[in-house]
Amino acid sequence: MSPLGALRQVVAYLVLLVVTFVICFPLLWALSTSLKAPKDVMATPPRLLPPQPTLENYRNLVTGKQQYFRADQSYVPTTAAPQHFTSWFANSVVVSLGSTAISILISTLAAYSVTRFRYWGRRIVPYFSLLGYMVPSIILVFPLFLVMTELRLTNSLWSLTFGYVSITLPFCMWLLWAFFRSIPIELEEAAMMDGASRLRVFIDIVLPSAAPGIIAAAIFSLIVSWNDFLFARVFINSIENLPLTVGVMHFFEGTHVDWGLMMASAVLMTLPMAILFMLMQRHLVAGFGAGAVKG
Amino acid sequence: MTIRLEHIWKSFGAVEVLKDIDLELPERQFITLVGPSGCGKTTLLRILAGLESATRGVIWHGDTRVSDLAPGKRDVAMVFQSYALYPHMNVRANMAYGLKVRGTPRAEIDARVLEVARVLEIEHLLGRKPRELSGGQRQRVALGRAMVRKPWLFLLDEPLSNLDAKLRVTMRAELKRLHMRLETTTVYVTHDQLEAMTMSDRIAVMDHGVVQQYATPAEVYNRPANAFVAGFIGSPPMNFVPGAAVAGGEVALDCGPDGRIAIALARRAHGFSGAALLGVRPQDLEVLSEPRASAVPATATLIQLVGSEKLVDLAFGTAGRLTAQVKADAAVEAGNRVWVGFDPARLHLFEPASGRNLALG
Repeated sequence: MSPLGALRQVVAYLVLLVVTFVICFPLLWALSTSLKAPKDVMATPPRLLPPQPTLENYRNLVTGKQQYFRADQSYVPTTAAPQHFTSWFANSVVVSLGSTAISILISTLAAYSVTRFRYWGRRIVPYFSLLGYMVPSIILVFPLFLVMTELRLTNSLWSLTFGYVSITLPFCMWLLWAFFRSIPIELEEAAMMDGASRLRVFIDIVLPSAAPGIIAAAIFSLIVSWNDFLFARVFINSIENLPLTVGVMHFFEGTHVDWGLMMASAVLMTLPMAILFMLMQRHLVAGFGAGAVKG
Repeated sequence: MTIRLEHIWKSFGAVEVLKDIDLELPERQFITLVGPSGCGKTTLLRILAGLESATRGVIWHGDTRVSDLAPGKRDVAMVFQSYALYPHMNVRANMAYGLKVRGTPRAEIDARVLEVARVLEIEHLLGRKPRELSGGQRQRVALGRAMVRKPWLFLLDEPLSNLDAKLRVTMRAELKRLHMRLETTTVYVTHDQLEAMTMSDRIAVMDHGVVQQYATPAEVYNRPANAFVAGFIGSPPMNFVPGAAVAGGEVALDCGPDGRIAIALARRAHGFSGAALLGVRPQDLEVLSEPRASAVPATATLIQLVGSEKLVDLAFGTAGRLTAQVKADAAVEAGNRVWVGFDPARLHLFEPASGRNLALG
């Protein structure tokens, strides 16, 4: 390699290193804080590595142990509520999986319909659905709140599930529409010649061929509903029905902020998505790639 | 049982793709639909498959009216141009799918897949996915998938067009052998007249949604129904000389400064007289270095060597053009003055306006 080429590589790696650090630092800091004892959290000077690493914060979250803080000469229980952490986590899981399942089921069928059947308006449906996705959630959330009130669904997990479907369904459908268009129609015709019914063709041939697209759409939908804050803040008003995002906010409290618990929650919240991402990364790239290029 | 297509019409919107197709496909024969792109041959095949429905017309298989049946109920098998192998299934599953859908017992499926795989010599590929196969192997698997079901009709849509030239020749022979062995009625679509000529029992030459001629390869070649068929079948294509004058059993060519040269006709043009389109195949022309009675003086303008033969482009009269196919060792060079000899028995005369072959009446 020429000296210039070597220099170029060194510079490139330096830039990458800086960018990686900027992106990873908050995560590392969260991880480090979550492993610190309360007295070390606010220590000056701050230290990246916990002096005495402890899993106390995680244990408190999982067991829901009541926390106290020292005010004057006595210990006062905090209003922060680690006892709800497990239900928040469960709520997040249920709502994310539920909305994703509904989104994928409907968008798969809808996308197949607009690519394979002929009827009035089938060409504009995908574009229209994307239009819906482009509207900021803040504009959707209040009309949706009124709808949920009418349906008597507020403060229930159903309101969140349906709310998330309203955001993720249009995008999933658009993504899958692009995907289905790239599946050669001859495959389906061949299966029909082989004697399969339309439904059987859909299940045996179309779904497996569209698997990368469906996985990509599902991951997208999971991330959107897992990370949502706005809908949960507006729709849910009892502490035990909250998902993680809004629930964790309760660790902020007027007189006391429990950073250790907050950071431990943040780590536990990031973990499932990070693992899912790592497992599915290959499919995700294939899915978005196919949709973008062939669609 | 014979398959009969009765008055098949097909239109897509305002475009008429097939116009009154009437064909009888005798049992066990290899029938080729041949024609240029857009002639309607693939549409006709898809109508036979049930993937398209005819705008009008009926298809009979013996006494059964099959045109109303869904593709899966017709029990015909099709090999697609793109092969359309199921990408997520291995070769075995691809071949077995049709039987599985029909609820054939597992043991029988396995036996039939293995039997067909043996015939096609693809046993060693059964565990592979389509993307791990070469073009020729995919072709065999697609054929195998069709054969396993033992249908009463095979439909093949340009199955060789994605193969390289050498493999195409091998597969052509192999398809023919397979057909002789299986004796299943086969309809084969191609735009390659050579494939049509070499493989078929009967050829339907199509153009503009109409069957121009339906006959044996020899008949189509030797007695083309019209100028389109004459020009489409045969390679290199037939020469056409417009403005030939037919009168009294002779055809006269205008050779400009060399005057008019008359050639006696061996086949009668049914008393026709007047201007006609003369057709003659490059193989039926002689290139002479000496003048002869009824030979047309010409100049060789271009020589193309094609192995054992060479193609000689000739200019005669004021604007006449001919191509002759002669032996490679024939002593003719570009720029030579030559005489072109016509075989009176091998001349074709067509009506200028309709293109109809005058000798066929």
